[in-house]
Amino acid sequence: MRKSIGKKIVFYVILVVVWQIVAFTNIWPNNIFPSPIEVGEDLAYSAADGSLFYGIAISMSRLIVGLAIAISGGIVLGIFMARVEVVNQTIGSLVLGLQSIPSIAWVPLAILWFGLNDGGIIFVIVIGAIFAVTINTYTGVKNIDPNYIAAARNMGAKGSQLIIHVLIPAAFPYMISGFRQGWAFAWRGLIGAELLFSFLGLGFLLNVGRQLTDVSQVIAIMIVIMGIGILVDGFVYKRLENKVMSKWGLR
Amino acid sequence: MTKFEAKNIVKNFRHEDYTLRALDGINLKVEAGDFVCLVGPSGCGKSTFLRIAAGLDTPDEGEIKFDGKTITGTGPERILVFQEGALFPWLKVSDNVEFGLKMAGVPKDDRSQISKRFLDMMQLTKFANAYTHQLSTGMKQRVAIARALVMDPDVLLMDEPFAALDALTRDLLLVEMQLIWEKTKKTIIFVTHNVSEAVVLGNKIAIFSNRPSRIKKELIIDYRRPRLVEDENLMKYQKQILAELRPEVKKLDGNKK
Repeated sequence: MRKSIGKKIVFYVILVVVWQIVAFTNIWPNNIFPSPIEVGEDLAYSAADGSLFYGIAISMSRLIVGLAIAISGGIVLGIFMARVEVVNQTIGSLVLGLQSIPSIAWVPLAILWFGLNDGGIIFVIVIGAIFAVTINTYTGVKNIDPNYIAAARNMGAKGSQLIIHVLIPAAFPYMISGFRQGWAFAWRGLIGAELLFSFLGLGFLLNVGRQLTDVSQVIAIMIVIMGIGILVDGFVYKRLENKVMSKWGLR
Repeated sequence: MTKFEAKNIVKNFRHEDYTLRALDGINLKVEAGDFVCLVGPSGCGKSTFLRIAAGLDTPDEGEIKFDGKTITGTGPERILVFQEGALFPWLKVSDNVEFGLKMAGVPKDDRSQISKRFLDMMQLTKFANAYTHQLSTGMKQRVAIARALVMDPDVLLMDEPFAALDALTRDLLLVEMQLIWEKTKKTIIFVTHNVSEAVVLGNKIAIFSNRPSRIKKELIIDYRRPRLVEDENLMKYQKQILAELRPEVKKLDGNKK
């Protein structure tokens, strides 16, 4: 990664310069295609008055609550599916079907069930993320070396001990992929839901930008959304994955 | 005193269109403090028998008695050491060794004291904080043995634990295993397909026939310890065992599908 960082910087500098040149030529009017400087100014302005950070904080708090519910629920459901064949044959098929529904398609139901509030948003996050966690946990538990389970049983592990001390840690490398996918679905679902029916949050700020035809605010918020995505993936998930992989000697 | 007794153990493996009889009435008596080696052609069901003895598998017929009582499942008095060790890659060596104690609710301080003793015995003290992938195959098997010994089982069940080792490491562990046995006075049932390993370790050898297997012959080896692989006096026992095994291996070749 260190090797490629120079190339990355050069690439992004060129990208911004090209953008600035295109904006400067005025092919499109400025209020439709703002320059990077204007977008930067907008970002600085919303950072200065605090509205940007407030929006990020609101969105992230919703995300964390939703993701926490999705991860814990997904782990329970995944383990259940992997260990009880009848659950897999019944609920398992439903999970696969539900996973194919884009999380944004749950928004109407969320509004009808929970109303225009945080409950509805969190519902969309949970439903968007939970099945990815479930399926990866299921795969992880199914792929556990049966001798690990036999050895643990032989050494007296039973019931919840077996789950906590063997099944979850043994399936963890797979579960991380589930968390990562779940987070990605949750993040998309969250912004989509906020855009459609929420007060506060990054999606709401996007919508405000649209209503005010403030294109540079829209682009600024989109860059923030992308930036958070990159940061969380790089700093949280890549690190977690590297840590587990090196512990297991898989890397 | 009879520690362990298998009575007429039968095990079938059912496949869709046929049933394979793996064990066809195994009878085996093991006295307390015995070191019994089960030898037989590969695929004859020795490992299956050991899993049944551990309580990880159930026989279709027959029963296993332990201290006179029929077993119904796994128990801390019968601990199995797996062929590949089955160490937990997410735990450090010391935590692997302490696993059984943790499950039994032994407090942390006592656990680490006990594990220290066994890590020391297996010359693993330096590696207590390592993860298992950092260890050689030989060290992994030492950890697996330590992990079994901390449970203080009456019977140690060992499923070809040295099969994946290089010859030099194996020779070393064969000597260590005898010392451990003398020091801990455990009853050991040890599965192997390696005849020289069996005669070095066992004071009793049970020879399995080919599938559907029975115990074809039992042999007592009363010879001083520690025995070394290169000891020529052990050759006559090896020859006796091989004479019994050769026709069984041939049968296996004829059976191949």
